[in-house]
Amino acid sequence: MAKARGTDGSLLESLPWTLFALMFSLAPHIQFLPWWITAAFIICGIWRFSIEKRRRPIPSTWFRGALALLCFLGVLATYSTVSGVGPGSALLAIMAALKLLETLKRRDQFVLLFISIFLVMSSLLREQYLWSLPYLLVAVFLIMTAWLRISSATGQKARRSFSTSGRLVMYAAPLAIAMWIFFPRIATPFWAVPMDTGTGTSGISDTMSPGDIGLLSLSDAVAFRVDFKGDVPEPRDLYWRGLVLTLFNGRTWSGNDPFDGARVHENVVYGGRPVEYQITMEPTRQPWVFALDMPLSSSVTLPRTFMGPQQQLARARPIDQRISYEATSYLDYRTDVHLTQFARSFYERIPDGSNPRTQELAIRMRNAAGSDPAFIEAVLMRFHEQEYYYTLEPPPLGSNSVDRFLFDTRQGFCEHYASAFAVMMRAAGVPARVVLGYQGGELNPMGGHLIVRQSDAHAWNEVWLEGVGWRRVDPTSAVAPERIEIGRGGSMFDGVGAAWGFDMPSALLHKVTLYWDAMNATWNEWVLGYGPENQNKFMEWLGMDDPDWRKMMLTMIAVVIGLVLLISLALSLRYRPPKRDRAAILYTRFVRKTGIEPATGETPALFAVRVDGESAIPTETVNSITSTYLDARYGPLNPQALQRLESEVRKL
Amino acid sequence: MSSIPWPFPKLGIKPALTNAANRRVSQWARKRQGIDSTVTRLRPGRVYILPTGVGLVFGLMVFAMLLGSMNYNNNLSFVLTFILAGLGFVAMHQCQRNLVGLELSFAGVEPVFAGQAAQFRVAITNHSKNARHGIRLYTDDSVSELQDLMPGESKVFVLAVMTDKRGRIPLHRFGIRTLFPFELFRSWAWLHMNLSGLVYPHPADHAPPPPPTQTAHGHRQHDARGEEDFAGLRKFHVGDSPRHVAWKAYARSGQLLSKQFSGADTSSQWFDFSTVPSDDVEQRLSILTNWIINADRTREDYGLRMPGAEFSPSHGDTQRRQCLETLALFGLDNNSG
Repeated sequence: MAKARGTDGSLLESLPWTLFALMFSLAPHIQFLPWWITAAFIICGIWRFSIEKRRRPIPSTWFRGALALLCFLGVLATYSTVSGVGPGSALLAIMAALKLLETLKRRDQFVLLFISIFLVMSSLLREQYLWSLPYLLVAVFLIMTAWLRISSATGQKARRSFSTSGRLVMYAAPLAIAMWIFFPRIATPFWAVPMDTGTGTSGISDTMSPGDIGLLSLSDAVAFRVDFKGDVPEPRDLYWRGLVLTLFNGRTWSGNDPFDGARVHENVVYGGRPVEYQITMEPTRQPWVFALDMPLSSSVTLPRTFMGPQQQLARARPIDQRISYEATSYLDYRTDVHLTQFARSFYERIPDGSNPRTQELAIRMRNAAGSDPAFIEAVLMRFHEQEYYYTLEPPPLGSNSVDRFLFDTRQGFCEHYASAFAVMMRAAGVPARVVLGYQGGELNPMGGHLIVRQSDAHAWNEVWLEGVGWRRVDPTSAVAPERIEIGRGGSMFDGVGAAWGFDMPSALLHKVTLYWDAMNATWNEWVLGYGPENQNKFMEWLGMDDPDWRKMMLTMIAVVIGLVLLISLALSLRYRPPKRDRAAILYTRFVRKTGIEPATGETPALFAVRVDGESAIPTETVNSITSTYLDARYGPLNPQALQRLESEVRKL
Repeated sequence: MSSIPWPFPKLGIKPALTNAANRRVSQWARKRQGIDSTVTRLRPGRVYILPTGVGLVFGLMVFAMLLGSMNYNNNLSFVLTFILAGLGFVAMHQCQRNLVGLELSFAGVEPVFAGQAAQFRVAITNHSKNARHGIRLYTDDSVSELQDLMPGESKVFVLAVMTDKRGRIPLHRFGIRTLFPFELFRSWAWLHMNLSGLVYPHPADHAPPPPPTQTAHGHRQHDARGEEDFAGLRKFHVGDSPRHVAWKAYARSGQLLSKQFSGADTSSQWFDFSTVPSDDVEQRLSILTNWIINADRTREDYGLRMPGAEFSPSHGDTQRRQCLETLALFGLDNNSG
């Protein structure tokens, strides 16, 4: 490695394109990367370009090595790991930046383009939206254009590279579509990789501490979409069961591990009409699987998903991608009528000294009511008739949060009411627990599906009654019945319109939003959710009997071979020589008849002189054919000459 | 970039093995294709193709991406993977089509002196309606320039072949290749046009002075001519007698000049193979070559007498060509090569 670090400007034609392709592939990562990585990348890009422009040498090996070490440590310090999509794409960006400084030869840039491709790939692993497809197509086009700039002779016009790479991507598109449709999808992954993308987990948290957060964030993000096979149930029945919280420490509710305390499974007796539906759920990076209260465990078509002891569904692996599953639920159901003494005391447990005023009130009210159902009714009446308010911005609560809420602040949202209700039940010796999930949803008339948003997150209670079993009680409905009866769907947009002082745009905006949502739902189901099941369905629709991976693979190979042959044909037509001149064909026939090989660069006239006497053809004929040929081929347009040539050559 | 793997790259391990493999493959191709005419159009059947190193890495990357897409069941990364795989297929066909249908015709080679590179010129014509990109000719140890051919265009590609001895230098085989569009594949064709170029002997570096000029009458004019027929000065050439150097002029200008003597118009030199002061045949030929070059440069008449051939004194391109060709091929079988 002698001193060969000088640049000579030979990269000026390709480097800007490589930089552009790299920047384009990095763009979707920028919001997730630490700022210094993006900055380092941009600085290295500009620096390398100016080095090339001014024909300076690239930085020394020592400098680059030190920089690489520094950046690696930086990534390690930021993420404290190097595996996963987040640190992985950070490392890719760093590699690209450092490789830029090392790039000397034209072909070194291929490495940069390989990194670009991996950057695009990892952005797709992180998130998939409707615009991700056009994005990736444009990215491929830019990368291949840069690729062409690197590999083609210098001095070629950029416009030509554009059109060539565009044409080749066009040829590749049908092949890609065929492979995409027929390549057999498998359900289970080979290995799991942590998907910590650095974004906050959306959805519902594992614990509930009313009063800790003063403000419930009203995210409009879609939690999941539901397609009902039959009629959509009434809004008041739309309780989407998630996780169940059974432990209370005086302040925070938490669940017992669904796979750990699973000794006692409750018996559920299902009744009434089954409700069948399909849920497409956005990633939550949590194990919880949501289903309409009460799901039939065996009906959930999601692999490695189990039902916990309190009928909560969970998948063994966190849901880190959009998933789709079918389920069947029954709105009428009964759970265990009998509860063991152990279970009973488990569901009545509250810390002894906590929230003393609440405990005292509960015992007093229970004694006054005389029975458990009457006591429940009394507590709900208290919430309904006394001055309790439903608000999304409740004041913070200190210690003994339930006491503070029930007697002092009297403002809260579902979590506050569910927590207070459960504590009162338990204090009075009624087994109770908290269920977290979603309530309601908005029907999208365009897609015919129900949209459940993060803002539909809800908490309610289940109490156990002698002879009845576990029964759902929603204390929030006692305070804000409209929250349950109609849901909050449209109100959000009304608010926007009211704030601006006019109504029309908000209605229009709402409609546009619903259209967009319907498009997303279709996209999710048919493109992003094209898994083993959809593929089988599609294969059957195409007429494949009993589709399996072998048949699909064979079909894919056959279709790809057919398409490749078509492309080859298209290319051979593209490069076919133009039709040969008729006169030239006739003259070649004459030359073959003479039996003499023309020399390179020999003109017909010189050839005629050479042929004279050597060949069996008489001199006059040779001369006449030669002159007629020259007339027909090079003279002014003259059909007679061609005809004469035709007849003379035929006579031979 | 001097040596081009053909078709197996020299990986540094077991060069004998790859060399043997390459030899076998080229023999097979030679037998399969036969001798080509000096104007040859490339048929699809003789354009071969193999992935390049970059192509192999690309293939591995696509395979890794396929595994990743399957693992994450990520349909958009499937799209990306399959688009790239499709581009690979397309690039393969495009690369081969970039050569098919080109017409190669031999456009001559100028004679050179041994030790110089013979420049074989081959014209390539693109008869089709679309441009051909990144075309280059190559031999075992040299490559031509990289050129694009626009529709209907014809360009001359030069292949330099080093020579080391006089005679005919054969070019049994050369190749045409392209990496277009993405350097993922290399497609190439071999041509066996049976080309050969003429190589004159290397002009001797320290040749003795040529035999003295004779008048038409045959009188020797050995020492006498100096004082009488001084014609002028010219630049000193290797082989000039030190006796003819204009030392006075040298002292004045520092430039070595030789005195020129012209005898009568009829004066001429005879270069006789049998009288050249050397025992070695090749050395004699070299010396004769040197004399002829010098005589030609000063436009003197000279004749060449070789065993079995004689060129009477004359000057000019034809004389030079005929004499040097005789020297080049002296003692060699004319039919060979």
